Amino acid sequence: MLFNSIDFAIFLPIVFILYWFVTNKNLKLQNFLIVAASYLFYGWWDWRFLSLILFSTIVDYFVGRKLRIEENQIKRKFLLWTSILVNLGFLGFFKYYNFFLDTFINAFSFFGTEIKANSLNIILPVGISFYTFQTLSYSIDVYKRKLEPTKDFIAFAAFVSFFPQLVAGPIERAKNLLPQFYVKRTFAYKLFSEGVKLIIVGFFMKLVVADRAAIYVNAVYNNVDNHDGLSFIAATVLFAFQIYGDFAGYSLIAIGTARLFGFNLMTNFNRPYFATSVSDFWKRWHISLSTWFRDYLYIPLGGNRVIYPRWLFNIFITFLVSGLWHGANWTFVIWGALNGIYLIIEAVLFKSDKKNIVNVFTTFVLICFSWIFFRANHVNEAFYILKTILSNPGKLFIPGGADVVAPVYAIIAIAILLAAEIKKEYFNNVFTLGGNKYAIVRWAFYSGIIFIILYMGVFNSSQFIYFQF
Amino acid sequence: MTEKNEFKVLFLKSLQFLIIFILIDLSLGFIAKEIFFSQKTGKYARLTHSIQRDCSEVLIMGSSHANRHYVPDILEKELNMTCYNAGVQGQRIIFHTALQKMILKRHKPKFIILNIDESWLYESEESYERLSDLHPYYWDFRTELDPVLSLHSKFNTFKLLLRSFQTNSTLVHAVKYYFLPQKDYKGYRPLHQQMKKPQSQKIKPNNSKMVKDETQIIDTSFVNMFDEFIKNAKINDIKLILTMSPHLQKANGLKVNKSLKLMKSMASEHGIPLIDFSDDKTFIEQYHLFNDPGHLNNDGAILFTKLVADTLKAKNLID
Repeated sequence: MLFNSIDFAIFLPIVFILYWFVTNKNLKLQNFLIVAASYLFYGWWDWRFLSLILFSTIVDYFVGRKLRIEENQIKRKFLLWTSILVNLGFLGFFKYYNFFLDTFINAFSFFGTEIKANSLNIILPVGISFYTFQTLSYSIDVYKRKLEPTKDFIAFAAFVSFFPQLVAGPIERAKNLLPQFYVKRTFAYKLFSEGVKLIIVGFFMKLVVADRAAIYVNAVYNNVDNHDGLSFIAATVLFAFQIYGDFAGYSLIAIGTARLFGFNLMTNFNRPYFATSVSDFWKRWHISLSTWFRDYLYIPLGGNRVIYPRWLFNIFITFLVSGLWHGANWTFVIWGALNGIYLIIEAVLFKSDKKNIVNVFTTFVLICFSWIFFRANHVNEAFYILKTILSNPGKLFIPGGADVVAPVYAIIAIAILLAAEIKKEYFNNVFTLGGNKYAIVRWAFYSGIIFIILYMGVFNSSQFIYFQF
Repeated sequence: MTEKNEFKVLFLKSLQFLIIFILIDLSLGFIAKEIFFSQKTGKYARLTHSIQRDCSEVLIMGSSHANRHYVPDILEKELNMTCYNAGVQGQRIIFHTALQKMILKRHKPKFIILNIDESWLYESEESYERLSDLHPYYWDFRTELDPVLSLHSKFNTFKLLLRSFQTNSTLVHAVKYYFLPQKDYKGYRPLHQQMKKPQSQKIKPNNSKMVKDETQIIDTSFVNMFDEFIKNAKINDIKLILTMSPHLQKANGLKVNKSLKLMKSMASEHGIPLIDFSDDKTFIEQYHLFNDPGHLNNDGAILFTKLVADTLKAKNLID
């Protein structure tokens, strides 16, 4: 089920009413409702893959229980690896089987050896990268005795499958989200109101910023032979805002929806295009994933408490794996590697990330450069785009007829978004509309945003980009 | 505050918010609609003219093949009747049936010439999405548009209660055509480029569509819409004439085109004349008469319109 679909518009109020008015007297029943609603939410897309979520849940629940009582270090490691293998096994099979197979075949054929192996027609279950990482963090934290394992299976199942963040995050840590399922939630208007505001802003980012930009970006990136350098630059800058609007929009809707049910999810984006260095960017972009990789890959590798070359290697590996996490395609691997290289260069050469416009602009350009690999359909196309940008600026593609609406609205929407973010980033304490002390001003402001969404948004229930990861 | 009170606050504040939102939607929506209906040229201005003002005796309807191929001035002169070209680029039968119903609510032309495209009855998601061009008119044509717009989504008509959604995506058009007016001649928009005959390659009959046509699926809603178009004309005592525009290349695929076959058989069942110019030798491989492989240029359109008028007179289809 997509957040921007009519199905969800019906689903959400029904679950809300059942949650607060029917099951509110009994915590277990309320948690069970969350599990049922979450399975319905996920099964709406493809019910067969519910079995994967259920299996992951059962395995990690029992691994957690066993880890609590098991003192033998070898057995504890065995339990941890069971969880890792099950979760990464699912991920590896569904997401990477064909990619690695094709890579091996190509590598061997490069050296003159032909290998016969058939690719499988595998459907990638939506959100598998997200919920496997979430549940893995539980097993690892329990193994490290940083977290007390839960006895409550329903609460654990609700933690794994919590529908607002099930398919595209934020990837929650068990120690933040799981305890929220143990305590009775009481309805608070303030939390509800905050949730609704986040949902409104999230929809603006998705339907107006991202989906309008996507029309121009797709027209250029899906037709690279017919475009010149200037069009690629414009499309790449628009893509930077498309992916931000899409993913940050999803995260806001997820966080807002969770608040309607009395839950607090972590912030996932913090005005990333105002970052003053690439390392600052990664503290602001997809924070739940960045911190996941920091805690469960970078630090176990030794982090920065190792010899200097090894530290740089740790940075590079973390970003390389992060790239691969985003998709089974060399474009993502190069994108990850590129970000790793940026950070290494920063670590070696630049120590300062002063808040100034030059740093913000330079970081934005570097990030946009990496987005070329992220968005290109193929590595060859990414290099063709780079070559064209450098050698043939040519003419800027301006869609004819009715299609001109998309980039124009995208630019207007980006301007609105940037104005709001500049205000928050640099002038947070001055006059505010959304947080104004007069209710009528606040409501008029949010009504205005809804009006803009309806007036300028795209209403074709397009998928969120991060669903494919 | 107790939970019960919190819900009370939620109820009251939601109500207040709803009132403010409705007021904003009504006031900003009013401005958006004023801007929309103030357009003097462009796609929406022509559409508004067809729906709200035109009183022509002959109405041309269809996609870009109607809009770019029929010159009303020539038809007026040849047939001695007033004529308007209400063709809309990129639209298919579902749109034209809705448009026909909206036009007939106010005005009944004597003749409608519907220029059909061979693929109109095939499934097409785009056809439904492009119905959004009619959203700004929804408030005044709910009875006519509800059955058509709800084919795509049952909730579409619910969203259309909001003024803001009715005028979605229209502002840029209004601004664009305010600064860059788009010339039309009673709805007709000529194309002025001239194709050049390819030098080396020998032109072969276009068979590529044959394979595609075999896999295409007929959309029953489109069939019903085509049937409704014919019936609406009959009920309102309007003489309907179906036509097919000339093609640049001989299209053998049309012989197996299920959609075209079905339209032809339905027309024949209802006794509606269909004049097929798709194979007309005057145009086959006459590159100088075409703007692009799918559309005649102005010279081609003038020639074609005369041919249509002559055929109509010769076949005694226009009294």
